[in-house]
Amino acid sequence: MSGLLAGYTTDGFFDEVVDADGAIRPHYRALIDRLRGFTPEELERRERVRDALFRTAGITFTVYGDDAGVERTFPMDLLPRVIPAGEWRHVEAGVIQRVTALNRFLEDLYVGEQAAVRDGVVPRWLVHTASGFRREAFGVAVPHAARCLVSGVDLVRDEDGHYVVLEDNLRNPSGISYVLENRAAMTRVLPRAFSEQRVRPVDHYGPMLLRALQEVSPPSAGEHPTAVVLTPGVFNAAYFEHVFLARQMGIELVEGRDLVVEDHVVHMRTTQGLKRVDVIYRRIDDDFLDPVVFRPDSALGVPGLLSAARAGNVTIANAVGNGVADDKAVYAFVPDLIRFYLGEEPILPNVQTYLLWDDEQRAEVLDRLHELVVKPVAESGGYGMLIGPHATEAEVAAMARQVQDDPRGFIAQEVVGLSRHPTLVGDHLGGRHVDLRPFAITGETVEVVPGGLTRVALRKGSLVVNSSQGGGSKDTWVLEEEVDRC
Amino acid sequence: MLARLAENLFWAGRYTERAEDTARMVDVTYHTQLESPYGEVALAWQQLLDVLHLRSAYGAPIEPVNVMRFLVLDPDNPGSVTASIARARENARSVRELISSEMWEAVNRLHLVLGDRDLEAELTEQPYELFRVVRRLSMTIYGVASETMPRDEGWRFMALGRLLERAEMTCRLIDVRYAQLEAMSGPSQRLAGDTAEVARGPDRTDFHHWIAVLKSASAFEAYRRRYRASMDPADVVEFLLLERDLPRSVLYCLDGARHQLDALRDGRPSRAARQLGRTTASLEFRDVGELFDVGLQPFLEDVQEQIAVTAEQIADEFFHHQPGGALHAIATG
Amino acid sequence: MRLDIRYLTRFLYAQPVSESQNELRACPANDHRQAVVHYHVTTEPASRVAAYHDYWGTRVDTFGVRQLHDRLEVVATATVETQEPVRPVAAVPRQRLGDSRFHDTHLEFLQPSAHVRWSHPVGATARRIADGVGDDVVALAQAVHDHVAADFAYQQGVTQVGVSVDEVHASGGGVCQDFAHLTIALLRELAVPARYVSGYLFTVDDATGADSHRDEVEVETHAWVEAAVPGWGWFAVDPTNAQHVGERHVTIGRGRDYGDVAPLRGVFVGDRRHELEVSVSMRRLALAPLGDQAAGRGAQQQ
Repeated sequence: MSGLLAGYTTDGFFDEVVDADGAIRPHYRALIDRLRGFTPEELERRERVRDALFRTAGITFTVYGDDAGVERTFPMDLLPRVIPAGEWRHVEAGVIQRVTALNRFLEDLYVGEQAAVRDGVVPRWLVHTASGFRREAFGVAVPHAARCLVSGVDLVRDEDGHYVVLEDNLRNPSGISYVLENRAAMTRVLPRAFSEQRVRPVDHYGPMLLRALQEVSPPSAGEHPTAVVLTPGVFNAAYFEHVFLARQMGIELVEGRDLVVEDHVVHMRTTQGLKRVDVIYRRIDDDFLDPVVFRPDSALGVPGLLSAARAGNVTIANAVGNGVADDKAVYAFVPDLIRFYLGEEPILPNVQTYLLWDDEQRAEVLDRLHELVVKPVAESGGYGMLIGPHATEAEVAAMARQVQDDPRGFIAQEVVGLSRHPTLVGDHLGGRHVDLRPFAITGETVEVVPGGLTRVALRKGSLVVNSSQGGGSKDTWVLEEEVDRC
Repeated sequence: MLARLAENLFWAGRYTERAEDTARMVDVTYHTQLESPYGEVALAWQQLLDVLHLRSAYGAPIEPVNVMRFLVLDPDNPGSVTASIARARENARSVRELISSEMWEAVNRLHLVLGDRDLEAELTEQPYELFRVVRRLSMTIYGVASETMPRDEGWRFMALGRLLERAEMTCRLIDVRYAQLEAMSGPSQRLAGDTAEVARGPDRTDFHHWIAVLKSASAFEAYRRRYRASMDPADVVEFLLLERDLPRSVLYCLDGARHQLDALRDGRPSRAARQLGRTTASLEFRDVGELFDVGLQPFLEDVQEQIAVTAEQIADEFFHHQPGGALHAIATG
Repeated sequence: MRLDIRYLTRFLYAQPVSESQNELRACPANDHRQAVVHYHVTTEPASRVAAYHDYWGTRVDTFGVRQLHDRLEVVATATVETQEPVRPVAAVPRQRLGDSRFHDTHLEFLQPSAHVRWSHPVGATARRIADGVGDDVVALAQAVHDHVAADFAYQQGVTQVGVSVDEVHASGGGVCQDFAHLTIALLRELAVPARYVSGYLFTVDDATGADSHRDEVEVETHAWVEAAVPGWGWFAVDPTNAQHVGERHVTIGRGRDYGDVAPLRGVFVGDRRHELEVSVSMRRLALAPLGDQAAGRGAQQQ
């Protein structure tokens, strides 16, 4: 291989672009040919264009930790990820199936007969000890049972290229703004690459989300429901995205103090007086949503909000209490939930997961800690995780102690080889691990935005793609079905 | 529009104006007092603190450099130039989506430029340049805002804040100058009403003081075109209070505020608009000579009071203020 | 026994406050032992009250007062009929507490909860109590109750939320809430699922729980404990007053601890300072035998 891919090796991983024989996969050929035509100077010039676009747009996120409040950009690699139509059909069907089952499970758990618990599909005690289980939300129904209005299901591909599910992210998944901004930037940086392929658009996300929000508005809302985006405020890590989404949908971005509940109806304070609000796309965690029933010290929320939702005067999306299904131990039961609620075999499998309260499984895991991944059940974003093969002896020992102290608090998983994707490193391409977060929207039905966010671990060999841990992203192209070919 | 955002825009307007006007007043006080005896200098700074209602906040013995530091760069004094700019920026940041990028950049630049300078040293050595920068960059903010923002609701709230603040600050500017001159020349002279003869003389000792006042309101050139060489305090006061075409005159600002308020209330009855109308009417037909007789200061205080009342009514009407206070949780056993 | 109950809470604020939002849990439960004949909530300033039943089955009345107010008065009136509970007779071996199904369904009442956390001294006390008891869950629960009732003193005073179980255990006294939390901790330590009950007790004396010779009493809201007995049900005891729960006990609701059944919970905006007045008056209606003798015997029998 010449030029860009000179010296490129797949090192035994599944590579998105180069197959096991070193040939370019068919759906990447046009793109790679185009990039081969670029001189290093040309590539550099395009990267500069990209950087300028992102700077102007002010696309940043905040990283929590030592340098609290530092704003960084989430770098987009120049080489997009391409998903052929057939492959996407599989992913899409799998995500829809999974989200459908999870909606059913959550609705049944909070306002139904708790069939999955009653029939022992998920242990009752497991639900009762999940930190995301919200007894306070009991009995609060959601129109169309659309509890996971937005979910961001994290997928990875294993050594054989099979898609498997890592997390479901049913609370407040972020990242969709990068999907849209990446695409907007790509069409400017590599315009001709688009014209050669038929890439499915993503820019209908805003209208799609707004339609779903209107669909789940309570019956009392009338013909033209008012939806708002509720943000914790400018200091939140994802504030940029909240602004972005409100703008995409053309609705108000409000903070808790802008809303007030009167007679179990939510209103926003406008210069013209109070205006009724029917649907709230909230980007505030459950605990801070309503100080009457949750943390009484929360100034971010809206007192009385839950009573308004319960009275059927407002819909809160995503629904309160979805975190129970984000618990990584409950995640382990999602394939069973799919079988139970839908009577179907899961299209997308889970990663092999070990439950550590089980004495046998725990013993085996403790023996093999250095070859497994261990995650706290209630965290997301890669926080508190141990990657056995990359960990020091001390880290492994510390995790072993934590697991023994709190077996319910952790799960272990086999390490997934995570597929790799050529990524621009300096003036050449290097293989870097990637994942995929498609975004599913539930209104009256479940729909998936073509593609989603491809995150890439920019450090060589790293398996951690989280934006908070040094990850980057790629524009993700889903190709149209080639109907007119035959 | 959301009441909170309207309020933030209103205050973005007020704080930018406050920063600029405070800088103007410190500037004029500093430069007119350079050649005065020490006692007078101290008195002048004390009077400045008085009209800004910051005397008790300052609290310390009057030492010119310290007062200046307090008014310009003390972060604990919410009325200081740098604090006002920081608060203007905070407010602008929270309504980033409603103002133009150009305006945001201008606000941000003023904040950053001041952060980069050694303000302490400049104040002690040569503050002129600093005041000039504040004034110029503040005016840049209005300039770009005016050229880049649509005249929508958001714009109107910002303009309203700026105009009310400016009207109030111009009152204070006159107030402090008048107080200083009164103290220098003895109360009898000023209150005797015999202004015409004393005031019009070209060799008046306070001549340069009145020029400074006009300059600090960017009104000296306009004044000269109107009144030629004469420098009558009554003319100056009348010009700064009642000149309809002068952008920093009190009447001009209140008229402008009323215009914005009328557009905002959109035909609805408004106590704030009525209040503002009354204030404007009480100014319009005022005879300044008469004011000098009955005392200018009570009148200026009254105008300021009425502006404050208007601002409160705006908050009631548009921002829906609940009496402040934190959220408290209760639980009974 | 038929009882009329009038629950009143009054907040007098130092300064007018606004945006008050509240949840009231004051309605007697409908269950195997009680039937609610009538229940009604009013507030002053007036508000629209919306009711629901929470996760634990307790009726909750929610209401808000948005406009400025300097006092808030909540009045709940109820008429309820109560019965004496049935008590377990046969012994239940402690081993049955370990039954996996029983454990699974009762886990919420076995684990530490927000107001029921304890450390070693409490655990040691629990084991000491258990040492002297035969292999019977009911006897064990009774022994825990007897221990708390005998060794801890009722202290008149304002109920303070936030006193820990360890503090109560160390100090040797408290109010009904503290008695209940401590009893729950001891039971949970011994693997007996235990839950907190909020309610009203028709008594002339909060410290002893003694019956009244009059038909009308002024009381406070009360709290007691229920322990789960495998294969039988919930066994209710009132450690504050050293008695079994009987027809003079009116249950409002049950939960893991006080936090799940706090009578009134809410928020408001403004100056924090306020005076709080809570009063509960109970009137016994002429359905039960009247007179000093009968009432006195009723108490003795328990």
